[in-house]
Amino acid sequence: MNDLKSQVKTMIIERLKLEGMTPDQIDDSAPLFGEGLGLDSIDALEMVLGIEQTFGVKIEDEAAGLKAFKNVDSLTAFIAEHQAA
Amino acid sequence: MSDVIKDHLPHRFPFLLVDRVVEREVGVRVVAEKLLTYGEPYFQGHFEGRPLLPGVLMLEMLAQAGGFLEAEPLAGKAIFLAQVLDARFKGAAFPGDKLRLEVAPEASFAGLLRVQGTVSCEDRILCTAKLLLKRMG
Repeated sequence: MNDLKSQVKTMIIERLKLEGMTPDQIDDSAPLFGEGLGLDSIDALEMVLGIEQTFGVKIEDEAAGLKAFKNVDSLTAFIAEHQAA
Repeated sequence: MSDVIKDHLPHRFPFLLVDRVVEREVGVRVVAEKLLTYGEPYFQGHFEGRPLLPGVLMLEMLAQAGGFLEAEPLAGKAIFLAQVLDARFKGAAFPGDKLRLEVAPEASFAGLLRVQGTVSCEDRILCTAKLLLKRMG
């Protein structure tokens, strides 16, 4: 799970071009959107594409996707669950 | 200008930039056309004596064509351009050109739709771009 978590963080940094940021600097439980990492809805779409291309997980249910985007912990759990499915 | 266009898009003269929808598969692909005439208002000043279609208007044409990917009419609703990615202008368009506007969706999430678009004229590619469209309400 920790490996996956660090892959998720790397994907976020690469996909959203958060230059100068390292995976260690992203707090597992801090909000990704608004406060915290400060991502916006355009970033959300980019992440949807990133998750599909990097982890082979399609986010079809928007409500579930928005819930998964709460923080790195929830996103990692979502990807792990859907990769296994 | 067909009424079908005006029923679907909220844009009006002088900023309705789609004349005809040639192919339309909702959510999959749209091909539309725009015939550039000498009477287009932007040709008066862009440029005087040397009319040339402004590149940004090609992006707007693709965005408007992208509106037809949506099943429901957009008239009376607001649709905005949220992001322009990877826009490349490869050729110029002039009065008399009939432009072919092709758009296909790449991804959508939470009211945002990302499309890949190409503007061409007689098999000459003039512009390619990815656009993010946001629909409100």
